[in-house]
Amino acid sequence: MATPKFQVGDKVRIKDRTTLFHTRTQKYIRKRVGTVVEHRPEWVIPEDEAWDRMETGRKEPFYVIRFKQTDLWPDYTGFAQDTLESEASESWLESVKG
Amino acid sequence: MSKIRYESVMTADRNLNPTEHEEYDSPYTIPNDRYAALTTVLHDVGGEPDFPQALYTKSEEEWEMNTYVTCECLGWRGAWNSEMRRRLENDLGKTQYYGFPYYGRWITGAARVLVDKGLITTDELGDKIDEIRARLEKK
Repeated sequence: MATPKFQVGDKVRIKDRTTLFHTRTQKYIRKRVGTVVEHRPEWVIPEDEAWDRMETGRKEPFYVIRFKQTDLWPDYTGFAQDTLESEASESWLESVKG
Repeated sequence: MSKIRYESVMTADRNLNPTEHEEYDSPYTIPNDRYAALTTVLHDVGGEPDFPQALYTKSEEEWEMNTYVTCECLGWRGAWNSEMRRRLENDLGKTQYYGFPYYGRWITGAARVLVDKGLITTDELGDKIDEIRARLEKK
């Protein structure tokens, strides 16, 4: 098991990678900053699982990341404290200082 | 294919063509924003503007559950996994993705996997589809 690079409480930004054929990382969280709230077990990343590489695919730690709804939607009309959680593998995340 | 069926298929096909046909008829170059739009992964629709949808419930039909069970069995036997299915659904392209029923996307993806892996051939599959269509049309 690889040691997760990010810890619970860390601020992370979701990378805005090209997703030509398939992705599980929603476009509304790409480029957004959220907070790691949970670790998920290491697993074959969807980019390999989707091409039948369960045995040889790359494994990465997964994270649950919590976003403020007001950070995701510029015209969000709900409560300011509303949040949304999504999951992503480690290679989608970059650390945010501060 | 009978002449009448050919005509009705061609009419239906013409109605699926994009309205801005010339712009989407294999242009030599495209602007970056259209490239971005065209390469958006089909199932990644969360947050896209849309109009309110009517909520209606329906129970599963027999063919839908047969499809579900067939696809799950193919998974247990190692033919594919759920992530491959999702990717294959995206690979159908916008017209078929939105044009087929939900489980129509599943079974088309399953057929594609079986062909890709050499477990069935396209003519074998096509012959079976034609055989079943002929049987149902007779009823």
